[in-house]
Amino acid sequence: MSVGKEIRIALAGNPNCGKTSLFNALTGAHQKVGNFSGVTVEKHEGYLDYKGYRIVVVDLPGIYSLTPYSPEEIVTREYLIREPPDVVVNVLEGPNLERNLILTTQLMELEVDFLVALNMIDEVEEKGIIIEIKQLQKLLGCHIIPTSAKKSIGIDSLLDHVIRVSRNDIEIRKNKLFFRPEVESSVEKITAMLTHQPELGGYNARWLAIKLLENDREVYHEVQHYPVWVKVELALQDALREAERLHDSEPEMLITEDRHAFIRGAMQECVRQPGGVKTTASDYIDMVVLNRLLGLPIFLLVVWAIFQLTFTLGSPLMGGLQFLFGIIASAIAPLLPNETLRSIVIDGIIAGVGGVLVFLPNIVLLFIGLSFLEASGYMARAAFVIDRVMHRFGLHGKSFIPMITGFGCSIPAIMATRTLKSRTDRLVTIMIIPFMSCGAKLPVYVLLTAAFFTPDVAANVMFGIYLLGIIVGLWTALILKKTVMKSDSEPFVMELPPYRWPTFTSVFFQAKVKALMYLKKAGTLILSAVIIIWAVSNYPRNGALEATLSTERVRIAGSSMAAAEKIKLKRELDLRIKSEQLEYSVAGRAGKVLEPLIRPLGFDWRIGIALVTGLAAKEVVVSTLGTIYSIGQSDGAPVELKSILRHDPSFSRATALSLMVFVLLYIPCVAAIGVMKKEVGRWRPVLLYSAYSLSVAWILSFVVYRLALLML
Amino acid sequence: MRLSELKVGDKAEVTAVKAESATRRRIMDMGLIKGTRFRVVRVAPLGDPMEISFKGLFLAMRKNEAEGILVEKQSG
Repeated sequence: MSVGKEIRIALAGNPNCGKTSLFNALTGAHQKVGNFSGVTVEKHEGYLDYKGYRIVVVDLPGIYSLTPYSPEEIVTREYLIREPPDVVVNVLEGPNLERNLILTTQLMELEVDFLVALNMIDEVEEKGIIIEIKQLQKLLGCHIIPTSAKKSIGIDSLLDHVIRVSRNDIEIRKNKLFFRPEVESSVEKITAMLTHQPELGGYNARWLAIKLLENDREVYHEVQHYPVWVKVELALQDALREAERLHDSEPEMLITEDRHAFIRGAMQECVRQPGGVKTTASDYIDMVVLNRLLGLPIFLLVVWAIFQLTFTLGSPLMGGLQFLFGIIASAIAPLLPNETLRSIVIDGIIAGVGGVLVFLPNIVLLFIGLSFLEASGYMARAAFVIDRVMHRFGLHGKSFIPMITGFGCSIPAIMATRTLKSRTDRLVTIMIIPFMSCGAKLPVYVLLTAAFFTPDVAANVMFGIYLLGIIVGLWTALILKKTVMKSDSEPFVMELPPYRWPTFTSVFFQAKVKALMYLKKAGTLILSAVIIIWAVSNYPRNGALEATLSTERVRIAGSSMAAAEKIKLKRELDLRIKSEQLEYSVAGRAGKVLEPLIRPLGFDWRIGIALVTGLAAKEVVVSTLGTIYSIGQSDGAPVELKSILRHDPSFSRATALSLMVFVLLYIPCVAAIGVMKKEVGRWRPVLLYSAYSLSVAWILSFVVYRLALLML
Repeated sequence: MRLSELKVGDKAEVTAVKAESATRRRIMDMGLIKGTRFRVVRVAPLGDPMEISFKGLFLAMRKNEAEGILVEKQSG
């Protein structure tokens, strides 16, 4: 089939109206996800070929209104005005028509070409609601097509109408919403002033007039700069006085009330609801799930389940991936005789790619869990249950789940902050996540507590470290909210949508989208950072050392020792070379340069090196310490790192505590930094944050070290 | 009286929305305007936020936000 004309359509509707299901039903596999320009609001785009047309579908974010308060609303409005699609499909949640029509009235005001998909028509029928579609079409001034995305009802009819609207082949005349006479006369007066103003060519004058009367700050900024503003401002003041005199109110209120009056009229005329308020399944579920006694335990159980799904189920997959990369590395190694090249390929590139991919199982599993919670309707309840606690720290109830996820891994946790609508809330939540002690830091604590504390004390020390992370995180949130991020916290006015069983495709699609986004956006950044850290800990090569290495090897091979003895000596030699090479490298020198700075914390240059390489991933601290300390143990049997540390004079309990605190708090690993940058959008806040966490780490480690010296 | 002062199970009608502009806009966009009748469904396990219901919609809001909504309590 040849593809002819292209029609661009956009789906607009409230959250939970089934818009995403409809989008999936329309476009199937032909989808891609990007961002709207300049903001981190996701833009889902797809296409399908239908009756010789290529129909490109943009799924706009779910919004309740076209006011400019949330980033989603601003983005949607900008999109509809600046890149108007050929047809806007306003998706309505059939069973909840009245509230959904608020957005419809605003589309009418914008005078875009739109039609209505009356979605979830199957639920409407089940509930015995009768909607007089013909009459409603006349009132709204657009075609209304009953659909059910879940049951694939009405999709073809919707597409037929899309084509008709795009060809202007419609039977229904656009309708206008008129306000009460005194408001209407102000609207018309200002409309007349704004008509034929070439500077405002992109806008519809009546819409501008309404928005100005509604005190819309974006439109104010737009119109303020033009000469006509002088006249408009006077008219606005008149309108304000009139509203005050007649109704003791403001034009903004009157306009909203009139929209609602129009909707109420339409509902009375066109919709018959079965009498009486019936208790729905959702009500019964909420009686249990939001119960005063059970609400909190159920919430904690759900969070626990998500955590288990992500990390307990994820870790064998992670192990599998690591195993796979190990196999690949050992398969490739013999093919690369040149040692330098082999190191680049195996320790640099393959390890780097592995370092990126290793997070994938967690990301996919977490987002399967989160999109299930979101689509089922529980996410809003979770926020409802825990908001009181979070609000005390200036956070939103929805910050809780990303925060808890941070205990597993910051990468998926930072990505999970997308459930937060307000930018400020998102930023603050992102910045506290790295303080939640992640799984990669655990090996460091295990090593140090095992080396310096008896098992019963070790558990308490570990608990204390986790607790310290939480305290520092919440304290950071409080400070941020009281200082730099004081402005526009999201008001907590949130719908608790009816529970719905999520569709398989939508849940998995979300997970797929997140995984691809991570690979494409953060992956490259992480990969290059891992390679850089590999390079600084391997270069420059110590030529003299390499020469000694080969002569020693020859000497050992030529000597008359037993084979087992030879192998042992060779291993020791390798370890020593590795350690000395690390000391010679940029990272090693950095460790030495840093020593004066970290001396007050009880750290020598060897720990300094481990902290530098630990930026690649926190567990690397352990393997680096292993490499550095592997020398000096010539008595044969491999000695455990923990006993080496225990007997090292430069290491003490105080050092161990100080190091744990430092590893807990200092700059997040490069992978977390990469994801942070992608989610925040700019480098500046991320760099400031890194400096902040480094300072906090230094100060608290210092305090802990000094106290420990006094007390232990 | 204020919405935040209502108890679970109370029914009331909105008489005015006085919150600061972004919050007010949000409340009104949800359909809670002068004249809307609603019922207080429950309070969260920790005592805040609260949940109200009107026109088949369930809305959660913090007491903080509910303070800005003036209501008239209705008997029965």
